[in-house]
Amino acid sequence: MLLFGLDLDYVAVVMLFCVGLYMLVAKSNLLKKLLGLNVMETAVFAFIVTAGMVEGGDPPIMVAGTSAPFASPIPHAMVLTGIVVAVSVTAVALALIVQIHAHFGTIEIDELKELP
Amino acid sequence: MTGPWAEALPWVIALPLVGAALTPAVAVRRPRAAGFWAWGVLLVTAVLAAGLVSELLARGPFSYELGGWPAAYGIELRFDHFSAWVLPLALLFVVIVPFSWRYLDHVMPDERRPPFYALLLLNAGGMIGFCVTGDLFNLFVFTEVVSLSSYALVAVGGRGLAAFAALKYLFIGAVSSLLMLFATAQLFVLTGSLNMAEVSLRLAEVGGGTAVMVAFAAYAVSFMVKAAMFPVHVWLPDAHAIAPSPVSAVLSGMVVKVGIVGMLRVYQIYYGAEVLELGAFNLALVWLGAVSIVMGAFFAIFQDDIKLMLAYSTISNIGYIVLGLGLASPYAVIGASVHVFNHALIKATLFLAAGSIIHQTGFRTLSDLRGVARAMPQTSAAMAIGAVSIVGLPPTAGFVCKWYIALGAFEANQAPFGFALVFGALFIFIYYIRMLNAFYFQKPVHAAVAQASETPWSMRGPVVLLASLCLILGVLGGIPLTFVEPAVLDLLPLWGP
Repeated sequence: MLLFGLDLDYVAVVMLFCVGLYMLVAKSNLLKKLLGLNVMETAVFAFIVTAGMVEGGDPPIMVAGTSAPFASPIPHAMVLTGIVVAVSVTAVALALIVQIHAHFGTIEIDELKELP
Repeated sequence: MTGPWAEALPWVIALPLVGAALTPAVAVRRPRAAGFWAWGVLLVTAVLAAGLVSELLARGPFSYELGGWPAAYGIELRFDHFSAWVLPLALLFVVIVPFSWRYLDHVMPDERRPPFYALLLLNAGGMIGFCVTGDLFNLFVFTEVVSLSSYALVAVGGRGLAAFAALKYLFIGAVSSLLMLFATAQLFVLTGSLNMAEVSLRLAEVGGGTAVMVAFAAYAVSFMVKAAMFPVHVWLPDAHAIAPSPVSAVLSGMVVKVGIVGMLRVYQIYYGAEVLELGAFNLALVWLGAVSIVMGAFFAIFQDDIKLMLAYSTISNIGYIVLGLGLASPYAVIGASVHVFNHALIKATLFLAAGSIIHQTGFRTLSDLRGVARAMPQTSAAMAIGAVSIVGLPPTAGFVCKWYIALGAFEANQAPFGFALVFGALFIFIYYIRMLNAFYFQKPVHAAVAQASETPWSMRGPVVLLASLCLILGVLGGIPLTFVEPAVLDLLPLWGP
């Protein structure tokens, strides 16, 4: 689908990416920064998923009645791996945020910067 | 035709990764055993890596198809001349791990050792995988293995501040990894393949265009962040200074090189395809490299904390490497590629020596550490050798590469950058002179510094060994050249001016 001569899905992906980047850069709360990072990740995953789309393609599962063309399965494998990586990054970040909160009593970056 | 060692290619990645997973189980009753286990695993890995290099020297680059899938469909592991970097990498780990056995006594309680060594093994496995993979998506996965273990390793020793430094590193690192994933996806959309060689071939058919350029730009920015070049270096100093010293040695010496090796890989794809005119980008690299050298040195001069000073010096040295790559003349690229290795060696020497001094005295600033050379002569001598090497004075390891890069600047008719390089070296010399002056020629201000004893042998051995290697490689500078020269000359006929 086209919007102003651009693919609509790509427009959505870029917008989502920018929303995430804005959250990551502009928010002061570490947790919100992490959410922003997750939104950015989602944008990239969505971009990869759209890459696997084939016009009129069947799912690449060999059962009776399926015929070519097939949707490409590789992007899905990539996104699955990407999600695993993103979850690990989120887990490590959350653990670090917990530790920061336990030590300094705050997770607002402007308050953290005022600490000696 | 491949020899028996070619079969070891998947094992050199699998061994440290499996070893990492098993570490907590091995050390469940005796946490201190984790250190010996990690060392053993890395030792075997280093032997395998040596076998792979011998195969490379005997028969040239070779591949391994994972799971028996042909390269265009499955994941291909490829061992070429740039991959030979895994041997020094594994060997440096073998030297650094014994150092951490005793060093960790002051840093963390015994029960936290198994996770620490597991992370170190993961880091090693990820970097080895990064160097030998021939698949773009696999490259991303190994980058994330390296990055994630690095974030955790920064935080492992300390509490609040370390966690904050690690989180800052994580946010910037995660965005750069995302850019890399995006670029990978972009190339996949354009070419329908993830295999590097295949992508390069198909890119030639696709031709140039905005999308190809966007993918290149995303890769370039991503790897610049990983390598901590000047405008995007902000995560490095805190993370590298606050981590335990063996970790600083790993991060500063090897993990930042992930960005450089990645850049070389992307160059291989794009130069092979000849779709983009990269002259302007190379010029940008040269300028960024020159600015990194000067700014790294400039910040380092004002540091009092020795580890922070060493961390800023890493930014300068990455600047040298990037400058050499951007100059794109044979001498410069050879010098830069050799510096990838030599800087790892020198920085490991410096960080381990600095770690020993901090460990024995409890102080970490230059003003507190005055006169420490009298109490710790051997460690200080190693530190001095490291300092002379990193400035690039003959006859040390640093001289060879910087000389080559400077020659390359004149070869590429970019003489001003040759002078910038020499000027940068002088700048760097100033702050190392400051350090040596404080260590050797000033009177101790603290009793603890005057009465400090030398480190135990398990710590002093690695430091002395690394320092002597800095000297030996200065004299026998040709050894790394054997690996780098064919790789660079393969690349350069395609390399634009």
